[in-house]
Amino acid sequence: MKVELKKFGEILTSRPAGREAGLAIKAYFKPEPGDRIELDFSGVLAVGPSWLDEVLTVLRSEYGKERVICLPSENASVSESLRIIEKQSDTP
Amino acid sequence: MIEIKGSAPFTQYALAGVPDLEAASRWMNARTAPKSPESLVCETRDIFTARLPHLKSFVGNGLSENILPLVISTTGEIGNNSFDHNLGQWRDVSGCWFESQVTGRHLWICIADRGQGIFQSLVKVHPHLADEQAALHAAFETVISGRMPEQRGNGLKFVRKIVTTTPGGGIACVSGTGRVFYGEQGERCATLLGQYFSEVKGTATLMIWRLP
Repeated sequence: MKVELKKFGEILTSRPAGREAGLAIKAYFKPEPGDRIELDFSGVLAVGPSWLDEVLTVLRSEYGKERVICLPSENASVSESLRIIEKQSDTP
Repeated sequence: MIEIKGSAPFTQYALAGVPDLEAASRWMNARTAPKSPESLVCETRDIFTARLPHLKSFVGNGLSENILPLVISTTGEIGNNSFDHNLGQWRDVSGCWFESQVTGRHLWICIADRGQGIFQSLVKVHPHLADEQAALHAAFETVISGRMPEQRGNGLKFVRKIVTTTPGGGIACVSGTGRVFYGEQGERCATLLGQYFSEVKGTATLMIWRLP
């Protein structure tokens, strides 16, 4: 199941907005058992790690890390935000 | 050279230069917050968020479309920090000074607040921090947050990484008596900030991006 993040805004930076987005996705997108949630950044201008961290925290606590996927993006703010979040989550 | 600041209906025309650090310092350090230009002070997070898209206009001044997302996301992290870490802790008025302009092939961004400062934000849950200088270093270089047990604390590390890996980038931050700078032009930012923000209440940040 693909989630078009551009529908949540062109600029996605704050934690409160990220938490709201995560809760909205959880409420309105209902993947079939075993289906993945694919976050699509097409059309998004900028993402910050705070916003993305909140979204992933909400969704991964509900569906597990393996079922919540960030689709590849050429936007550097997406890749750099993901990198620092994954690095932090890998730190014991 | 004349430069345009803000947007309608609060457009200002000013002589080219770095952001008006003297005015930002006056606003930040006044015993009681003075009346300030509405185009430069964002009283709420919503106003700050609504003004972030203004950074897109600098693409017309030479800012690369590849760098624009990083400029917006780092600016967003710093500005949102003002609201995240001062909720219920403002000295008097809420909000942050947010000024940006292009001068001499550089984009300058200044964000300052009348908040509690980084040391006060962190020391409540990290009492081992010795002073304001140690708190600033910890904020930019380690995963640490004043809002434990929430899993936070990666925003300023993200900012430091982006600025230090972008050619011509630089950032300086002062909070209390603490001061840090990073990136190729970080020291330049620190020197400029130091002229107006030697010992501050709250936090002030100056970023610079070299335009191609």
